[in-house]
Amino acid sequence: MTPPLYIALRFLTHRKRPLLLSLSGVVFGVAIFICTQAQTQGFARYFIDSTIGSNGALVIKSRFRPRYEPLMVPAKVSQGSVGRRLYFEGITNPNEIMRVSRQFPNVVSCSPVLRGTLSARAGFENATVDLYGIDPALHARTTDILHQLIDGNFDDFRNNTSSIIIGSRLAELLQAGVGDTVQLLAPNGEYWRFTVAAIARAGIGSIDSTRVYSHARVAQALLQQPSGATMIIYKLRDPNRAPALASRFESLFQHNASSWQEREESTLQLFLTLRMSVAITVSLIILLAGFGIFNVLTMSVLAKIKEIAILRSMGYRRIDIASIFLWQGALIAVAGSLLGCLLGALMTWGVSHIPIRLRGLLYTNYFLVTWDWRHYAFATLLAGLAVFIASYVPARRAAELPPVVTIRGSR
Amino acid sequence: MNSETCLSCEGIERYLGEEEERVHALRGVSLKIEPGSIHAVVGPSGCGKSSLLYILGLLDLPDAGRVSIESEPVSQLSDDELAHKRNKFIGFIFQFHFLMEDFTALENVMIPMRKLGKLLDNEMRERAADLLDGVGLGDKLRRLSRHLSGGEQQRVAIARALANDPKVILADEPTGNLDTANSERAFELLRNLVHERGKALLLATHNPAIADACDWIHEMKDGRIITSQPLRTQSSVF
Repeated sequence: MTPPLYIALRFLTHRKRPLLLSLSGVVFGVAIFICTQAQTQGFARYFIDSTIGSNGALVIKSRFRPRYEPLMVPAKVSQGSVGRRLYFEGITNPNEIMRVSRQFPNVVSCSPVLRGTLSARAGFENATVDLYGIDPALHARTTDILHQLIDGNFDDFRNNTSSIIIGSRLAELLQAGVGDTVQLLAPNGEYWRFTVAAIARAGIGSIDSTRVYSHARVAQALLQQPSGATMIIYKLRDPNRAPALASRFESLFQHNASSWQEREESTLQLFLTLRMSVAITVSLIILLAGFGIFNVLTMSVLAKIKEIAILRSMGYRRIDIASIFLWQGALIAVAGSLLGCLLGALMTWGVSHIPIRLRGLLYTNYFLVTWDWRHYAFATLLAGLAVFIASYVPARRAAELPPVVTIRGSR
Repeated sequence: MNSETCLSCEGIERYLGEEEERVHALRGVSLKIEPGSIHAVVGPSGCGKSSLLYILGLLDLPDAGRVSIESEPVSQLSDDELAHKRNKFIGFIFQFHFLMEDFTALENVMIPMRKLGKLLDNEMRERAADLLDGVGLGDKLRRLSRHLSGGEQQRVAIARALANDPKVILADEPTGNLDTANSERAFELLRNLVHERGKALLLATHNPAIADACDWIHEMKDGRIITSQPLRTQSSVF
């Protein structure tokens, strides 16, 4: 142990009240930071997982054809990019696109979907539904539909082409359960009858209140669509790289491709803003803790002015004196961060057990939290930075104190 | 210059304060101290005794003149090098003891040793215990310094000044805050250490009895040494 660390430890432990004051500031700052980040990111993560689990990390939709510009264009339109593409609904040759795209290492699986909007009726209840005509095996591999089922059986759906899976909130709306009949209105005005094989809950209100899954061939007939698929959804190994892959697919397949980040941009921005806002608030708490430490260490320098002079007279260098106060800050930061991380984890665990009934954008019965080591690392880093800044000024001041002035003044 | 000189100064000038309050504290002071000798600096308050001690102890820098340790001038040394010299060559004893309050007697004595870093922890502990035993505090090693009496604190300060086996001990009125019995005991202790271990001791004192017991007595007035007289043997002045 270096002499400055040894002396810093003694200075700290012999002044218990200031130590507790400084320590509690860091502990609570770090803990609150972790807990609030866990909450805000918990809701965001749940939303992201649910949307990727239901709609895929990447979606290929309509085919497009670039509009080629003539070689000579008027100057004032030469920079515009509006209307460069002509879009055609549906996927052209989905099997070939899927075959090629499976060669990409980031692609885990893909599933063609024939999508359409219809009216549904069950008993006296009506609703507008978003029909997904799927290949059950491929869709189960590509999405989290198997985990989303809260009632019924996926095999019953797979084995029965006249069965459907409906979203949980839609089931409530139509007052339909497993085994009940739901009628879907075809564009020609004819009602098709389906048996509810299962009920799924994605956890996102907009999906659960509209989504209906049927077999692709049945959906094609029902929607009277010539195309076998209106979109292909992808499961990726690294969903964070979806934008790059989407761009690659667009140029490769000449189909519109969108990543989940692009698709959910507005909601993600909302979560990000919320997180930033909370992070700024909590960072201010940590800065306040830093200010408290600054005060405590400044007072400590004043209280230890005699000791500083003694140490200097015994041959301690300016840097040794500064180190004593920097070490005090470092010890507070380390102990405070460790305890803060522990308290933050406990608070996060406690918050995750608080009952909350959300049925809007998200479906949850408890506060959603996420366990991410980066929250702990960032909180520790922030606390360390605040404490370093807070202890640097008093440390420097202590180092600059001329010992002879103190010794003369003590006479 | 005498090769045996362990600490000397020559033509020291020192001004204290600013502008109208500026005082010419030391005016061309020269002094030479040799091992095994005790020098007393006497004079009225404000005559410059302490200022001289702080400059000789490298705690303060002179405005002019030269300080040498073992014939090597120290004026060109950096602050860190001066700190190292203080740690290794000089032991300080102050009137108000100046012990570290949060540390025990033993730990106080170990603090200069920790800085020097020549001994292992158990060796430092052993040496500090020996030094404290030597000043009669062998039974109070683990007592916090603030729980010791004034006399005991001064003895801890003496032991601490000897921690790194310095060649020079500088004492600024070391008995000024002690009663007669403790004063005599502290001085006796210092005198024995100087003579037995070949140290040099320079002390500033108001106590005529202590001054008379030294080898040399230097009388200061208005920042000058006006008389220097050997009372016993050794030492010299310019």
